[in-house]
Amino acid sequence: MPTCSISAAPEAFHPALWRASQLATTSTDCLDTGYAVLSQQLPGGGWPLGVMTELLLPQHGAGELRLLRPALEELGQRPVVLVQPPHDPQALALAAQGIDPARLIWIRGGCQTDVRNRGRQSSDALWAAEQVLRSGCCGALLLWQNHVRGETLRRLHLAAQSSNTLFVMMRPLAAAQDASPAPLRLSVTPAPGGIEIGFVKRKGPQRDAPLFLPLTPSLLQRHALVDRPAPAPAPARSVLPALVE
Amino acid sequence: MVVLEQERIVTMSPLARAAGVRVGMRRGGALMLAPDALLHERDPQRELEALNAVALAMLQFTPQVAEAEEATLLLDVGASLRLFGGIRRLCQRVQECLRMLGFSGSLSCAPTARGAWLLARSGARSGGMSRKRGAGAAVYGGRVLKIGSLERQLGRLPCGLLPPLRPYVDWLEGIGCQTLGELRRLPRPGLQRRCGRDVLEMLDAAHGQIPELFEWLQAPPSFRAKLELFDRIEHADALLHGAQRLLQQMTGWLVARQFAVERICLLLEHERGREARDPTLVEIVLAEPTWRDEHLIRLLKERLAKLELPAPVIGLTLEARQVQPMEPLSESLFPEPGGSPEDQQRLLELLVARLGADNVLKAAPLADYRPEQANRWVSVQEKIRPADARAQLPPDMPSLPRPAWLLAKPIALLMRDHRPFYGSPLKMMSGAERIEAGWWGDAETRDYFIAQGQDHAYYWVYRERLRAKGEGEEAAEPRWYLHGLFG
Repeated sequence: MPTCSISAAPEAFHPALWRASQLATTSTDCLDTGYAVLSQQLPGGGWPLGVMTELLLPQHGAGELRLLRPALEELGQRPVVLVQPPHDPQALALAAQGIDPARLIWIRGGCQTDVRNRGRQSSDALWAAEQVLRSGCCGALLLWQNHVRGETLRRLHLAAQSSNTLFVMMRPLAAAQDASPAPLRLSVTPAPGGIEIGFVKRKGPQRDAPLFLPLTPSLLQRHALVDRPAPAPAPARSVLPALVE
Repeated sequence: MVVLEQERIVTMSPLARAAGVRVGMRRGGALMLAPDALLHERDPQRELEALNAVALAMLQFTPQVAEAEEATLLLDVGASLRLFGGIRRLCQRVQECLRMLGFSGSLSCAPTARGAWLLARSGARSGGMSRKRGAGAAVYGGRVLKIGSLERQLGRLPCGLLPPLRPYVDWLEGIGCQTLGELRRLPRPGLQRRCGRDVLEMLDAAHGQIPELFEWLQAPPSFRAKLELFDRIEHADALLHGAQRLLQQMTGWLVARQFAVERICLLLEHERGREARDPTLVEIVLAEPTWRDEHLIRLLKERLAKLELPAPVIGLTLEARQVQPMEPLSESLFPEPGGSPEDQQRLLELLVARLGADNVLKAAPLADYRPEQANRWVSVQEKIRPADARAQLPPDMPSLPRPAWLLAKPIALLMRDHRPFYGSPLKMMSGAERIEAGWWGDAETRDYFIAQGQDHAYYWVYRERLRAKGEGEEAAEPRWYLHGLFG
């Protein structure tokens, strides 16, 4: 009976089909995340290339770059474009994580505080993102946007499909409530000793429990161990001893 | 619109034709039929300029372009067919080019130049007479590839097409000879005696029986093309169409001279005379020389969209300021996955054209202890030698605790219970990294810490070390600042 074989193994019948209890196999290329625990939970076993991926952050600096670091490193010498990041990216920090500074391109949105220009800056950023995606010559595109309209998202998603660029969009956690065409949406929240990844949307079974990834700034322990300063130089009334606990 | 020559109408726009204006009418007649028609005197000088502009643009299809009688251009495309993918595609490209230049024309091709000329002239006549057509549309005079079918086609054309035969048209009609086919059947010696040698030579040339000689056009040594606009244009976007026309001409010139352009200037000319203003300059510098117009059009579009005009524009001038010999494309067998370096350059140029050079940056860290100074970003257009860039990087980079995000301006932190407070009390996770550098103006004496809030996010904070003011005085309460976020 053909119907039985379809219901038994729908993924064998067509790659776009999968059961609600299993992860989808994607036809697009994927880039290994560098964390085996996370890769297992993603359809295709890694960050999908050529589609829009959303990372939803409660605040900037929640560990999003540490999460993406192995993938960015894996891209080789292809450029990494940062479009309108919330703060000045520090090339040395990225270099310390293994990303060659020569690969970085920062597209600045100008002065963020100027309210009048904000609309234009945002449209400039979206335009730049679309050009980068359509040209297809960059390895990764990281785009920060707070308020995006649905049609803009669809447009970017469509542009992403014309190349195999790793396209990650950083949005505030509140945007998890809104619909989005991105096939993969993850939330990243800092947790003690690492980050927690929530699966807002993926082609696979729903997972409510967040996934914990042990990710501390790698230099933290090393630096703390090696360079623990001698307590002597602290002035008598310094607050430092109370802080260190 | 109606064009007059010696008080007689020679041509008119489709709108005027619809109103009933015809060739050969007088000025008064035209004004009666179409009272709000614009009357223009025919201007041979501008016609010549237009023809030259088209000829220059046509040089992109073949190096052999010649001018012929009655505002026609002859192109020898025999050697270009394979490059452009066949005669049909080539004709489409020529049509497209004409359309972008804003002219209408009649296009035909034939094995002989005179044959093609005759077909094109007949196409221009019939197309102009019988059908209404929009501005810029081209008419096909006919596309003939074999000499046999050319003979059949030519045989059907009226005698009046041959310029030396025009004074004798009435006489030929009188003897019942109306087409070129019938003309060829007349005895040659008699025809030569009555109408002159030219007629026979043209006929023979059209049929490929005697060779034709042409004086091919030479491209000028430098490129500068001007365009007068019909109207005063106040929005820069609207200038793109005019700029495209000039770029078409430049493409032809570049291909003919085997040059690739590095720097072009578009001058937007404003009012002349009493309220004369200097022209506005739009300069485009390319990292990779090019001779194709698609990329230049994209760059110009972004630049013009950003431009605010100080005054209406009445004319455009395009100059190729800097050229170098064209380098042929090297086609690699396996295309690189990330696109070629030229593609990347083109992308960056496009981004710079719209966003401005100071908004598209690349990292150029400086060897400096102070984080603000070390974190230097420069425009992507600046050239830095890779060796210099490496020399600026610290040797033990992985051990350097630097946050991914650096705040443009450090935020002064509140103090609660002798602890810095940012959303929640901050707990120091690392020892201090003392940075003390800089000269008088921007000297920094700071202790940097990695701190963690109760939300478990990591922050880069520093404590400003204040010097005691005098001998006996205690140092003031230290102040804490947030300077970075670990991404």
